[in-house]
Amino acid sequence: MFELVRDTYRYRELIWALAVKELRVRYKRSVLGFLWALLNPLLMMIILTLVFGSLMRFSIDHYAIFLLSMLLPWTFFSQALSYSVESVVGNAQLLKKVRVPQLVFPIAAVVANIINFLLSLIPLALIIVALRFPLHWTWVYLPIPMAGLFLFTLGTAFFFAAINVFFRDVSHIVQILLSAWFYGSPIIYSLDFIPKKYHLLFRLNPMLYVLNGFRLSIYYGILPTAQSSAMSLACGVAAVAIGFALFRRYQDVFVYYV
Amino acid sequence: MGMSSAAVRFEDVVQRFRVIRERPDTLREAFAHFHRRKPRNTYHDFLALKGISFQVPHGMTLGIIGRNGSGKSTLLKIIAGVYRASSGRVEVNGSTAPLIELGAGFHHELTGRENILINGLLLGLSKREVQRLEPSIIEFAEIGEFIDAPVKQYSSGMYMRLAFSVATAVDPDILLVDEILAVGDAAFRVKCFDRIAAFREGGKTIILVSHDTDQIRKFCDRVLVLNNGELVADDSPDNAVEHYEKLIGQPQGPGIPAIQHI
Repeated sequence: MFELVRDTYRYRELIWALAVKELRVRYKRSVLGFLWALLNPLLMMIILTLVFGSLMRFSIDHYAIFLLSMLLPWTFFSQALSYSVESVVGNAQLLKKVRVPQLVFPIAAVVANIINFLLSLIPLALIIVALRFPLHWTWVYLPIPMAGLFLFTLGTAFFFAAINVFFRDVSHIVQILLSAWFYGSPIIYSLDFIPKKYHLLFRLNPMLYVLNGFRLSIYYGILPTAQSSAMSLACGVAAVAIGFALFRRYQDVFVYYV
Repeated sequence: MGMSSAAVRFEDVVQRFRVIRERPDTLREAFAHFHRRKPRNTYHDFLALKGISFQVPHGMTLGIIGRNGSGKSTLLKIIAGVYRASSGRVEVNGSTAPLIELGAGFHHELTGRENILINGLLLGLSKREVQRLEPSIIEFAEIGEFIDAPVKQYSSGMYMRLAFSVATAVDPDILLVDEILAVGDAAFRVKCFDRIAAFREGGKTIILVSHDTDQIRKFCDRVLVLNNGELVADDSPDNAVEHYEKLIGQPQGPGIPAIQHI
């Protein structure tokens, strides 16, 4: 863990440059360029709002915001994971030629998506205001669930990026896993819809704790309990501990397998 | 042993690669192997270096020659820290910068300027250092206004010039050069050699891998000859080249023709 913090700090300029590169490449050659980072979520949210706000009526008040409050962090998680799983293998040519600290690649992939995620909060705030939904003061609390989410994503990224070096199917499996995980987490629905007897099962899902704070702060306008925040951070720290331990254990042999 | 004055010291270094036949690259294959349960001999060990010992004093220009597959590049990659030797002792005193296949870190969609930053950071410079060196890198590479165009629009020559320029701007204690001097046009090659010569005069250690025996004779103080992972000669350039030419059974022609791209 100490090593992770030290190396992240040591290579911060490289990590940042790689993250910016990732975004540059993503938006290059498009007329609107970086604006897409704002437009894309905005358009997606408008569609969702139209669909769920006027066409389909759910029993949840302001369903669009209910949904978006968790869908945005989820989208971040899912995109960051899809990018980072390929991050070591994708830099094979580099790894074989120069000694580079391998850990910068998954970190940079996550950081690039963090930038994207933070930008997507702007259109979210706009939509909330446009729908005359209250912009709760509890937004100021968001950095805490974000810390949990970013750590959890980073840990998962290390884990899958490392295994993908040895088994290339992992990147396919991750896509399936993400889709199952999405429906298995209370993102498009509320845990209240689920019969009580299954709750225990749902509580085994770390994503529940990681995403919980977002919906509470953005949609309900209430602060999560200290216990809930602690759970979210604990999931993040545990994921990083496991993911990085695996990554570190095998990083020296990556060069022979990429 | 004491503190050595050597820039690089190898003691009985072995590099073993596991060459796996039908490496289970996918889970299905891994499961299939698991099911069969007999760990069939699906790999054999290949010794890329079979116990190599030598040392390079600070300030020396060392040449390494040998046929393809003799272990030259492997040796260079161990010094660069890309591979970790399977056994033996490796000592590298000083910072290294690889001129190994230039432009490995370049991204085609990014401009020359953006690539200078990323490549410089990858080679261990700080952002401030890269910014300080940027004008001289651009000037040396003779890229001109193309510096703000994506590198995919560059000719191969421009690409190589930029890569060489970044790599040598790093100013390492030990410069590792792998077969790159056959790039660019004649005029630029002269510039490259001049820069390497300046490194030499600056007291830097240079390790040069090449097929070009003329280059080796011209530049090196001492030369290693590798053959099938073994060190068969560690001698003066003339003697080593002679040994090498005997090894390949025919006198070497005028070196590898320069690849020119427009």
